[in-house]
Amino acid sequence: MTKDNERKSFFEITNEPLDVGGIARRVVPSECGATVTLDGYVRQWTKGRETLYLEYEAYEPMALREMEKLIERARGQFEIAHAGIVHRLGRMQIGETSVIISVAAPHRRAAFEACEWLIKELKCTVPIWKKEVYAGGETWVEGDTK
Amino acid sequence: MKFQVLFFGATAAEVGKRGIEFDLAEQTKAAEVFDKIVADFPQLKRHSLLFAVNQEYASGGEMINDGDELAIFTAVSGG
Repeated sequence: MTKDNERKSFFEITNEPLDVGGIARRVVPSECGATVTLDGYVRQWTKGRETLYLEYEAYEPMALREMEKLIERARGQFEIAHAGIVHRLGRMQIGETSVIISVAAPHRRAAFEACEWLIKELKCTVPIWKKEVYAGGETWVEGDTK
Repeated sequence: MKFQVLFFGATAAEVGKRGIEFDLAEQTKAAEVFDKIVADFPQLKRHSLLFAVNQEYASGGEMINDGDELAIFTAVSGG
């Protein structure tokens, strides 16, 4: 049983549109009672400027390694069973999902906390970048270094 | 000793390429390679840069070996 459970955590990068419901249901083990899922999607307005679309790129092999490390760390820090992270690359229109993080836990509080921790860490450590394209220009968004 | 230095996002846009092949006679520390690249492409100085050696974040003290994969990029912005 333990081995099966370990296999339920996952981390992936894809160029295809993401199916939030399908991904969330991949982390629903019987010993858990709650799965918290973050559906991160493209926002139209950032600091008063209208985004037309975003383009994501990744240093893929390193990004996958960093995602795997995050899941291991989350499982060490929170009372959770599994976590799944999927990030999409390429061009995304307003409202399209760019990242999904799903966390399953016996009790919801740990799942909420771990999900928040995972997205915060992902934004600091996983080598993925977004280019914001707006009317009259484009810019690679640079995140905050810790 | 041959190795690759990769660029992504803003650094790829600044340098105008996705990567550079290096061929050095002597063993070198990662920091020296990164300094040399920033000197060759001073437009990179406009950014706060992060470095990786073999797909791990690097401090700069790593010795570079034949076939290594280095990378220079800006603070990440996924999510």
